[in-house]
Amino acid sequence: MDKETLKQKILEVIQKKAASGGKSKIYLKDLQREIPDANPRDIKNAANELVKEGKLEYFSTGSTVMYGLPGVGMGLEAGVEKPEE
Amino acid sequence: MAELKKHDTPMLNELRGGPWPSFVDDIYNYSEKHQKQAGFDVLGQMELSYKHKETHWKHGGIVGVFGYGGGVIGRYSDQQDKFPAIWAFHTIRVNQPAAKWYHSSALRKLCDLWDHRGSGIVNLHGSTGDVILLGTVTEQLEYIFYDLTHQLKMDLGGSGSNLRTPECCMGMSRCEWACIDTQDITYELTMHFQDELHRPAFPYKFKIKVSGCPNDCVAAIARSDFSIIGTWADDIKIDQEAVRAYVGGELKPNAGAHSDRDWGPFDIQKEVIDLCPTKCMYWDEGQKKLYINNKECNRCMHCINVMPEALRPGDDRGATILMGAKAPILEGAQLSTVIVPFIRLEPPYDNLKNLIYKVWDYWMENGKNRERLGELIQRVGLNRFIVDVLGLEPLPQHVREPRSNPYIFWKEEEVEGGWTRDLAEFRKRHPA
Amino acid sequence: MSERLERPDPIYTQPYDPTLAEKLYNPQKPMENRITDIGPPHYWQFLPPVIQRNYGKWKSHEILQPGVLKYTSETGEVVYVVRCGTPRLETTDYVREICEIADKYCDGYVRWTTRNNVEFHVTDEEKLRALIEDLKSRKFPGGSYKFPIGGTGASVTNIVHTQGWIHCHTPAIDASGVVKAIMDELFEYFGSHKLPAQVRIALACCLNMCGAVHCSDIAVVGIHRKPPMVEDDRLEKVCEIPLVIAACPVGAIKPATVEIGGEKRKTVRVNAERCMFCGNCYTMCPAMPIADGQGDGLAVVVGGKVSNRISPPKFSKVVIPYIPNEPPRWPTAVKWIKKILEVYSQHAKKYERVGDWIERIGWEKFFELTDIPFTWHLIDDYRLAYDTYRTSIHFKFTKHVKPMTEYNY
Repeated sequence: MDKETLKQKILEVIQKKAASGGKSKIYLKDLQREIPDANPRDIKNAANELVKEGKLEYFSTGSTVMYGLPGVGMGLEAGVEKPEE
Repeated sequence: MAELKKHDTPMLNELRGGPWPSFVDDIYNYSEKHQKQAGFDVLGQMELSYKHKETHWKHGGIVGVFGYGGGVIGRYSDQQDKFPAIWAFHTIRVNQPAAKWYHSSALRKLCDLWDHRGSGIVNLHGSTGDVILLGTVTEQLEYIFYDLTHQLKMDLGGSGSNLRTPECCMGMSRCEWACIDTQDITYELTMHFQDELHRPAFPYKFKIKVSGCPNDCVAAIARSDFSIIGTWADDIKIDQEAVRAYVGGELKPNAGAHSDRDWGPFDIQKEVIDLCPTKCMYWDEGQKKLYINNKECNRCMHCINVMPEALRPGDDRGATILMGAKAPILEGAQLSTVIVPFIRLEPPYDNLKNLIYKVWDYWMENGKNRERLGELIQRVGLNRFIVDVLGLEPLPQHVREPRSNPYIFWKEEEVEGGWTRDLAEFRKRHPA
Repeated sequence: MSERLERPDPIYTQPYDPTLAEKLYNPQKPMENRITDIGPPHYWQFLPPVIQRNYGKWKSHEILQPGVLKYTSETGEVVYVVRCGTPRLETTDYVREICEIADKYCDGYVRWTTRNNVEFHVTDEEKLRALIEDLKSRKFPGGSYKFPIGGTGASVTNIVHTQGWIHCHTPAIDASGVVKAIMDELFEYFGSHKLPAQVRIALACCLNMCGAVHCSDIAVVGIHRKPPMVEDDRLEKVCEIPLVIAACPVGAIKPATVEIGGEKRKTVRVNAERCMFCGNCYTMCPAMPIADGQGDGLAVVVGGKVSNRISPPKFSKVVIPYIPNEPPRWPTAVKWIKKILEVYSQHAKKYERVGDWIERIGWEKFFELTDIPFTWHLIDDYRLAYDTYRTSIHFKFTKHVKPMTEYNY
């Protein structure tokens, strides 16, 4: 899978998750599960590139990091009320 | 400038007395001198914690600066009305120079930066080894990063599911026992793995620590997923003259570490020979000569620690690689376990890097979310990890003792004829 | 081989420009002027020239007095080191004072140890004496030493610890305050060599153990004893429920729905029996506070070590399951730690670490000598607990054993 296709897939996975379950952020492991035919390192590199392009953002869970769509779901600043749908 | 608001801190003030350096005094004086509301507010909030016996901090989702998935820990006060100057109080992890040597010129400039853009409060150092800049607001994060990289040639350390900042003991810079160049190895690995250090790559955190000898002054064996501990494979070097000087009382045992108590005259038999865990040493009182059966030595360092002028690690030096240490959460604490008994380490340490990549590939593919390497090794079995994953030879050095149960998961290919059997043939021999 | 500078990069002598970053960083184009992945400064430039000349050539060392070391090189050169304890939590002014001392005596070079000590290096004895006198004279207005000298040899060296109430969101105890209280009480052991061996003390403010204290001679671990509360009316608004559920390492959190004022609200429920009190849920969800002034406190663990010397590295074991929080000076915790230290000091043999001493005399004897009550909490019931059961009749008759004459069921 070339990098652009992989990036597209990653975005689709995250968009789908956010739309369906209200889970706006996911772990690398979740991405791997959804895109089993890609190598974990390639997924990581592609996801990190998407962050650099501003299409994804990181979210800290304390000891780990998740990926989410900027502006969707729980914000980076604690105490920020989740916007009403 | 707005009027400074100082808070009453009667409980914290109790920590200004006593001989040990008082952080309360330090922060109070600093805040006074630099007219910093954040310092007064953080003491005020801490006083409130002392009163409530509860923390007043909340976590936030911030991870780093643009393009980085680590290096910043987001913190927010739950007392924003009372202590507005610390409504946000984020931590910046700055990657320390190997073995934590500095020059005042660099430290001062870092202090200037932090006075300007943060609370002026720091940790030297954080548990993982980074310089910790404690307390700034969200809007300063990018500027701090620009200042660090442009004006200080410094960079952020790791956090989250990244490689955490590698750390080492003082190594060859000052220690005669360093069997490997811990600082160079740490620097080289840190530079080589910049991407993994700054961007999430793994199911959980991954720590690398490098100690120069089995005394393990950075606690690599207890704290790092990948522990590199210097060791030697040949004979301990003996200076018999110096041994006699210890026996004769001219040299102080253990470099003088026991100087404030009368333990009686140094007794080489009692203090060295009898304490040797492998009983591989012999002191010939007549000859006044020390013998070491090096083939039996397990390199615990005790004799070398006691007689540093007389004994030194051998010349065939390298490292033992152990993997899997972690703090107790979740499956219980683990110490690192021996994986490579002896590896020779020469720059640019490609053998080491390849081994690390191999481990990462497997962990990234097979590790569960928030599963440390040590837990993964337990789950798949140390034997499978060593043999199937890393392609290494199983050795008695890998275990303290062999298993006591015979419940061995044989592989089909190991069993003659495989597992597909001819039932009809069996029944010919054993009518049902 | 990595490139290295012989002397500190000249960039460090250029004054800090507080306006530069604003000129360089453009929020609209975040990649503009951005330098990334340069890593830490190369260590070599920060090594004093005497260290550079003798790098890898050190021959031996000697502790001249507590906190003062002398290293001798094969080249014949020597370097003297003065080690001082620091609070780790400090201000830039404290760091500047260290710089001032380093400039005055050490050409600006200075080093920190893994255990939060700061070390000054000089090459001649006269400077050494002046340095020591200078360090001893520096005090905070409240009277505490700024740079207590010690932490070498058979001492209690500086405590490694975590953040506590100054910065962490899941601590059960403070860190710096408890450390200060302990070190004030054990101060004489920091600056002397009178213990049987070195004693490493550590503190972690919750069981996540950022400080990895689990292999220390004596350690304090903050513990929560109450599961998180759940704010049903607020949770849905400030937390993403699937993320909170995913954050729990033991799967103790389940989704739930409640009715508040006739309105259905999504929330969660915590299986209290499964909760390990790690606070990960609070990390993800501010509507699940875990801290509790009444329930929180600390446990004391002893007998661990990291070094391979004589015996292999080992874990610390829990000997006091709970002591309540007693700010500002935690007198009960401090009292027990001192008691353990002094009983050890009195009974252990030379070179014997706390854990080795206890293994020699037996844990039952340890509890007898220290008068620490032995309670059911100290018998392991977590994973691999069986390893800790006594499966031999090799034990000593301590005061704990009462002859059993009848069963009163």
